[in-house]
Amino acid sequence: MKIELRTVINGREVEASVKPNQTLLEWLRDDLRLRGSREGCGVGVCGSCTVLVDGRPVSSCLMLATNADGKEIQTIEGLAKGDELDAVQQAFLDQQAFQCGYCTSGMIMAAKALLSSNPTPSEDEVRDYLSGNICRCGTYQEVMAAIRTLAEKNLANR
Amino acid sequence: MSILGQNFSRVDGPAKLRGSAQFTGDIEMPGMVYAKVLRSAYPHARLTRVNAEKAQKLPGVVAVLTRDDLKKMNAYFGPVVKDQPVVALDRVRYVGDIIAAVAAEEKDIAEEALELIEVDYEPLPAIFDPAEAMKPGAPILHGESARSETRLDRDQFHFEKNSNVLSVYHASQGDVALGFREADEIFEDVYSSQKIQHGHIEPHAALAYWEPSGKLVIHTSTQNPSSIRAQLAELFNLPQSKVRVIVPFVGGGYGAKVHPRLEPLTATLARKAHRPVQWVLTREEVFLTAHCHASVVKIKTGVKRDGTIVARHVEGVYDTGAYALTGPSTIKNGGEVSGGPYRIAHQDLTTYCVYTNTPPTGPYRGFGVPQVCWAYESQMDDIARRLGIDPLELRLKNLVEEGDRFVTGDELVSVGISDCLKRAAEAVGWQSKQEQQDRELRGKMRGKGLAVMIKTTMTPSNSSALVRLNADGSAVLLTSSVELGQGTQTSLAQIVAEELGIVPERVSVTFPDTDVTPFDQSTSSSRTIFTMGSAARQAAGQIKQQLMEIGAHVLEANIEDLELREGNLQVKGAPEKRRTISQLFQAHYGAAVGSMAGSYDNQTRGGIDPKTGKGKASAFFFLSACAAEVEVDSETGKVKIERIVSAVDAGKAVNPRQCHMQNEGSMIMSLGSALFEEMVFDNGQPINATFLEYMPPSMEDHPRQFGSVLVETPHPEGPYGAKGVGEAALGPVEPAIGNAIANALSGLRIKDLPIRPDRILKAVQSTKEESQ
Repeated sequence: MKIELRTVINGREVEASVKPNQTLLEWLRDDLRLRGSREGCGVGVCGSCTVLVDGRPVSSCLMLATNADGKEIQTIEGLAKGDELDAVQQAFLDQQAFQCGYCTSGMIMAAKALLSSNPTPSEDEVRDYLSGNICRCGTYQEVMAAIRTLAEKNLANR
Repeated sequence: MSILGQNFSRVDGPAKLRGSAQFTGDIEMPGMVYAKVLRSAYPHARLTRVNAEKAQKLPGVVAVLTRDDLKKMNAYFGPVVKDQPVVALDRVRYVGDIIAAVAAEEKDIAEEALELIEVDYEPLPAIFDPAEAMKPGAPILHGESARSETRLDRDQFHFEKNSNVLSVYHASQGDVALGFREADEIFEDVYSSQKIQHGHIEPHAALAYWEPSGKLVIHTSTQNPSSIRAQLAELFNLPQSKVRVIVPFVGGGYGAKVHPRLEPLTATLARKAHRPVQWVLTREEVFLTAHCHASVVKIKTGVKRDGTIVARHVEGVYDTGAYALTGPSTIKNGGEVSGGPYRIAHQDLTTYCVYTNTPPTGPYRGFGVPQVCWAYESQMDDIARRLGIDPLELRLKNLVEEGDRFVTGDELVSVGISDCLKRAAEAVGWQSKQEQQDRELRGKMRGKGLAVMIKTTMTPSNSSALVRLNADGSAVLLTSSVELGQGTQTSLAQIVAEELGIVPERVSVTFPDTDVTPFDQSTSSSRTIFTMGSAARQAAGQIKQQLMEIGAHVLEANIEDLELREGNLQVKGAPEKRRTISQLFQAHYGAAVGSMAGSYDNQTRGGIDPKTGKGKASAFFFLSACAAEVEVDSETGKVKIERIVSAVDAGKAVNPRQCHMQNEGSMIMSLGSALFEEMVFDNGQPINATFLEYMPPSMEDHPRQFGSVLVETPHPEGPYGAKGVGEAALGPVEPAIGNAIANALSGLRIKDLPIRPDRILKAVQSTKEESQ
């Protein structure tokens, strides 16, 4: 049995049929071949599969693909505009806020969500918001620095 | 030097930030099918029946692998001893041991097929405690296993027979009994550490297929393509040239991916399926696949009243789980340094590698050393306290120095450990005697702690590098070093660029592909910069020499007067006399085409005699220190790390920022195991094998004041003096935190890791009861 769904992924309309038990992550990776979102824990706590659904961060390993019907999805692949990196990606690059890179997509998507809802987060707010994104390489200091530079820029541009 | 020592931006940045970096699980092949495995529900049982007939008939199932399929091949693998079968033969040895595997068109179908496999078990007595396993009459897990012949250190182990003790390491010097008689005070303690998950966020993954010619190709998330190739070749009786191992980006390893895990089964299943087979572990399965050796370390130390350590006796028992993997190597590594980085005249050091019916272990960042460091550095503060000596002074008084002969027989060179300790202490505002005062009296349960560590690296070991310079002045480094987050592609590019006088952007570093890239022992033991870095430097140096010879002719100059700078070969002091690399190619070949190659096979030499535990244990030694400041909540037992700083002797930091990030990563990882990480079992059944119940440290656990210090004491054999740093900072973190907690609690000592709140509360409670 397959279920029809319509959604917008990274700005493009997508119509597809999915299995009822297929997670959003499986659909993105296996069917749409968007493999920047990755499974780490399968139970929604490590954050490496984080995507934005209507602008809010979601663990795509826990959400059924069918629930994406009528919603707008943004994944790591949708951030850069051609050669130009998104501001969050650029800040991560400038601060070298990654090591093995496996958790990085999810970390960037969560940071993106944080900054769009709160453009000038305090350090405590950053720690709280990103506590669901685990980096075993221990790159937290650099990630916090990347977000801080963006927050400072946002504050200056107010 | 213009490129060495610079924070050159990582070459893998764009791919990783765009989400386009390819990991093993991202690779697909036409016709690919998916593997799932059936695992044992019992910790120890005889398998009386395994019947896969029904599973085989399920539509969509391509192949089912059981013990019946192993009859025509070598069934066992293992890096030190071959004790692990591809799937279980006569019995299973832990909850999660693999009994059968299915390859199917879809993952759901593979899962469904597993339920159709019929297994009858006859439970056997199981052992979970290494102390029980060592007792006479304990059920024996393994008969005598064949040794693996492909390791350079294969002759360094002392194996036991007919015992759950697989191997023993022993070394001594002086007369320990005499030493204890000479001592004014004797300290005897038992310290324990727990089973810890590596927690790499990328689960293990592999994709295997067989070419029609009979060649096996495997893409895998490994730290060690050469070990995978050698062991797969042995398994299938193939020449190594018929096994091709390809490694893309690896999403963290920390030791868990150093030796075959998924590869033997994936390759065997692919052979039966005649299709490419992909196997990606779930997180729960990762918990059943690798972890850090739990340990119990008995340590007895004799000291003079002035603080001189005169005698030390150590007995460390390491729980290697159901299969050996690198257990014998781990316990040797731990045993060699179990006396600590101190000058001690009389030492007797023994470590044991013991089988139990728990999941297999394997290398874990620190490789057997954090377990003994936890013991000797915790005890060191108790000694300081009883003798009334500042812990910093006590350590400085006893630390090894340049040129000292270590207990293993090694002469120590590049010894910056005192500097590491002083700078770490300074970074947390250590104030000697005052730190000894009881914190409680100041109304705050705050304390500071210090610790130091010494560690060996895999010795002997081989690394080969091949550098190709193109006519346009760009270069390719062919290497089997794995990029698993540590930034090896970037730092190796810096070394080649430095040698050839070109910018690192013009150097490309390959991913490992055993058909193409030269041999490397392993991307582990923090050996890459030292061993592969040297090979890369030498290989590039050969090309440099060739360019110099051509240039000397063209520029009519002596070779010693020439230098390579910014893509030009020029006369020193007269840069107007220069040629570009392209022009040198033109001069040599008649046109700016072709390439020049350099290759170098580097071997670090040494090894120990298993009878004496002595020899040349290590090509270089890791030396580090950690200082921590904590606040303990006496109501809840919760520990807050206020400040933590690690200092590591890097020899020479090729890319200082990357070195700092290795230190930071080591600290974060180790503060988790210091305070809360712990795999829990109930009669062999895993209780918390998910990230819901076993959580690695998050950003909320990240200490507010967090620092890393690099000391640079050049090593004569390292490239530009560089030594490894990948795991150097990890060892001293747990005891530094433990010492800070003891300092906060007026000397109250927790001897078991992790230092959970309930343990602190219990200890506080028991001292209150004693004083009443």
